[in-house]
Amino acid sequence: MNWVKQLFSRRRLYHDLSDEIQEHLEEKIEELVAGGMPRKEAADAARREFGNLTLVREDSREVWRWPSIENIFADVRFGARVLRKNPGFTAIAVLTLAIGIGANTAIFSVLESQLWHPLPFPDSERLVDVHTVLRDNPKQWDVLSSRMFQAWRSQTRSLAGLLGYSYPRNRNLTADGSAERILVMPVTSNFFEVLQVPLVRGRAFLAEEETSGRDRAAIVSYSFWQNRFASDPGLLGKQVLLDGQPYVVAGITSPRLRFEFIEEPAVFVPLAMDSSQVTRNLYAIGRLAPDVTPQQVREELAVIFDRVLKSEGLPLESTAAVANLRETWTQFAAQPLYFFAGAITLVLLIACVNTAGLLLARGLARQREFAVRATLGAGRATLVRQSLIESLLMSLAGGAVGTIFGIWGAGVLAKLLGPDRLPRTAPIALNLSVLAFVLGVSIVSALLLGIAPALFASHVDLNHTLRHAARGLSANRGQLRSRSTLVAVEVALALVLLFGAGLFLSSFVRLQEAPRGFDAPGALTFRVDLHGENYAKPDQMQRYFSILTEQLRSIPGVREVTLGSGLPLTGSENLFGTVNVAGRPPAHKYGTFLTMHAIAPNYFQALHMHLLAGRSLDSHDAEGAARVAVINRNASQELFGHEDPLGKILEFVAQPQRGVLAQAPVQIVGVVENAQEFGANEVPFDDLYVPFSQHPVPSSYVLIDSNLPRGSLLASIRAAASSLDKDQPIFDVQTMDDRITSSVQGARFTMLIVAALAAVALVLVFVGIFGTVAYFVQQRTQEFGIRLALGASPARILRDAIAQSLAIGVVGLAIGVSSALILGRLLRHALYLVPHEHTGMLYGVKIHDPLIMVGACGLLIVVLLFASYIPARRAMRVDPMTALRYE
Amino acid sequence: MKNSEQRDLFPGALEMMILRTLKRQPLHGYALAQHIKRTSNDLLQIEEGSLYPALQRLLKEELVKAEWGISATNRRVRIYKLTALGAKHLVREVSRFERMLKGITRVLTPGES
Repeated sequence: MNWVKQLFSRRRLYHDLSDEIQEHLEEKIEELVAGGMPRKEAADAARREFGNLTLVREDSREVWRWPSIENIFADVRFGARVLRKNPGFTAIAVLTLAIGIGANTAIFSVLESQLWHPLPFPDSERLVDVHTVLRDNPKQWDVLSSRMFQAWRSQTRSLAGLLGYSYPRNRNLTADGSAERILVMPVTSNFFEVLQVPLVRGRAFLAEEETSGRDRAAIVSYSFWQNRFASDPGLLGKQVLLDGQPYVVAGITSPRLRFEFIEEPAVFVPLAMDSSQVTRNLYAIGRLAPDVTPQQVREELAVIFDRVLKSEGLPLESTAAVANLRETWTQFAAQPLYFFAGAITLVLLIACVNTAGLLLARGLARQREFAVRATLGAGRATLVRQSLIESLLMSLAGGAVGTIFGIWGAGVLAKLLGPDRLPRTAPIALNLSVLAFVLGVSIVSALLLGIAPALFASHVDLNHTLRHAARGLSANRGQLRSRSTLVAVEVALALVLLFGAGLFLSSFVRLQEAPRGFDAPGALTFRVDLHGENYAKPDQMQRYFSILTEQLRSIPGVREVTLGSGLPLTGSENLFGTVNVAGRPPAHKYGTFLTMHAIAPNYFQALHMHLLAGRSLDSHDAEGAARVAVINRNASQELFGHEDPLGKILEFVAQPQRGVLAQAPVQIVGVVENAQEFGANEVPFDDLYVPFSQHPVPSSYVLIDSNLPRGSLLASIRAAASSLDKDQPIFDVQTMDDRITSSVQGARFTMLIVAALAAVALVLVFVGIFGTVAYFVQQRTQEFGIRLALGASPARILRDAIAQSLAIGVVGLAIGVSSALILGRLLRHALYLVPHEHTGMLYGVKIHDPLIMVGACGLLIVVLLFASYIPARRAMRVDPMTALRYE
Repeated sequence: MKNSEQRDLFPGALEMMILRTLKRQPLHGYALAQHIKRTSNDLLQIEEGSLYPALQRLLKEELVKAEWGISATNRRVRIYKLTALGAKHLVREVSRFERMLKGITRVLTPGES
């Protein structure tokens, strides 16, 4: 079939056809006239016998068309014309949709860039995170020992490679005579090879450099090489100092090397497998061998794991775990992001419903147009298609504007979320998947909002509409029902959002009011992490911190200075111990796991922590004295139940597989109230407090209570620290109030975002109800006029008009309440704290809280009444004469 | 499908009749319409106009071809001719139609088969 030629010759074809039909009619007329019929009558008869002239032409032409495409083009042209002719309507509809689509685009961009986008390594979806988990509780990570890592690396066949790394740490770099603090990341020799991001210059680390003493090579990141060393090619082979130790630069990384889930380090050094830094800070990434699944890797590594532990006679508490690298590092942020996505989808639905309402209203105005077109032979399918194409045009325009909103919104969202709740540093950018998403959402929206008006349009009762055409708009039961349904749906959706906002607001308030277990208003805190050769021994650490606290205490205006390896709300990460009560069978197979805090004697007083029994630690509990400890209420219950814990001895369990060495036992001398470790929404920790002097640690927090302004206090602190050792910087400077604020920051953010969405929903519902009631009133103007003329009171009319919208609202509320309850039931596990799995989004509030439900319903009813009152008042003021004259 | 052929006929019936008529002699649209009406003794309710979409379909499938010419009554008309393809198509369609008719007849006159 030669359709290219057809396309060009079509004009001639149509022309021929018209001529031909014209000739046909004339011939007929002539014949009839020849038979004695008057000309005029003959013309009519010819027409009659011929049939529907327009339709015949249309059908004949259609034979030559690519039917669907050309009709659609025609419909698109027509639709665009209709939209252009109603700029006000189009603007409102497009803007409403743009808000809905824009909000969705924003959250999608965040989800895409933060959760779904592959990590920036070649074939990165074949990279897996390899770690160990407790057998009893696979959600709980265990420590990976360097021996296990080496066994895995040398024996695995299911992995093409297994690399190890430690989390980057700040260290002092001295080069060309000037020093600065940079991030240094220890990595294994095969690191760049497994990631498949080879160096641009120099060599990777050698296997023998993975031992302490021989690990003095450095690889500089490309951007640091550019910025700090001005891309000097002579840097290779040169010496730089890290914390005073000489390292020789061996290579420069590729500019393509980015992690996104770890802060980008400036310098890499070999990971010395035999050094103490590995014990608690070793992580592994594997690259799957071809055709191997993570599950197969897990099975293989588990076998090696058990073999190694058995050969050393160690208990099999843990096992291997293997999971997609990207998912492992992003899952902590996934749940709240998905939750926001759900809430934002509700807003889009409301926007669609609202626009559908607008379309319906306009559908009424166009009833005659549809009727006329149906009479002229437009089939039902044609009308539905036309209607859908119009809504598609509108939602595509909404999508285009929404994309702009979305890009802007994604930036705002990212800023509001902050780096703590975003797993990756990747920029949130417009890319093909985002555009595809916008297109998809636009099409789905078009279907959602176009289907009701389209079906309605196709049901036009020709006879009725045309007969009443002269009278203007005419009441239509179907119309009323469709609009009422839309409003009810809108009310229901808004209720779900409003109820959610209420839950998060209440949860936020309760989080702030929850007992924290400590109180130190105005106190300033900071952290010191001692590093370098001068602080290798415990007494050196002890000496540094005791001098520092002495010096701080001597600053005029300082009331109290205390010290702790962790403070409340800092999520103490460094010290743990596994203990058994002396003279008793162990409560747990491998002992009870405690969080340890090495603290100064005045720690509890300074933090106003409430002592429940026994005594606090004091200055007599010095290095050589009897080893003592205080436990918190939670640990007391866990270890002793209702028994008195005072005087009991705790023995530490050595765990060579975790690098935990045996320690001397401690005697419990006191019990203190639980203090929040992360925030109120946590499972309270089992805490063990020991004297800092008996357990010196290199990393510690200092808390200072004073009446000095923050700026001058901070200057004095920096001066003191610098005079003591200028290479040991203070960091993480925050007041305790700051820490409290940031502990509820997540809840605050969730509350704000859900409240904002609920507010948008309320506005949309207001507009929707307003429009609908205005429409009802208009429909019933004549009725009201007659009733007023017959003596009904205006108040009665007003009541009637409002009652109608209230009835719809109540139906919507009923649907909304049940959906909210069902949704809450479905989500209850995801919304509350699950230990080791995810932190809770709700705290101290029931998912079906009746008070909040009543409040949400009440607020919606107020909005409903207000939105219907304004147009309903018009009903009251109907002038009977005018109303009747309409007739 | 629209209400293009007045639906007293089954799909393709009009096309078949057109082809059969054109097999006898080339005709222009009007004459074609009159001939079909006459030969069917006006039993079939065919709107004259419905001929044209059918003719367009036949043209498109190259079962007929058309040329402008002068009719017997001295009018400028488009005269349709059966093509070789059209003749073959007609044979096939007629035999299919006869089979169908036989089937229908059997059902409508039970007990006589």
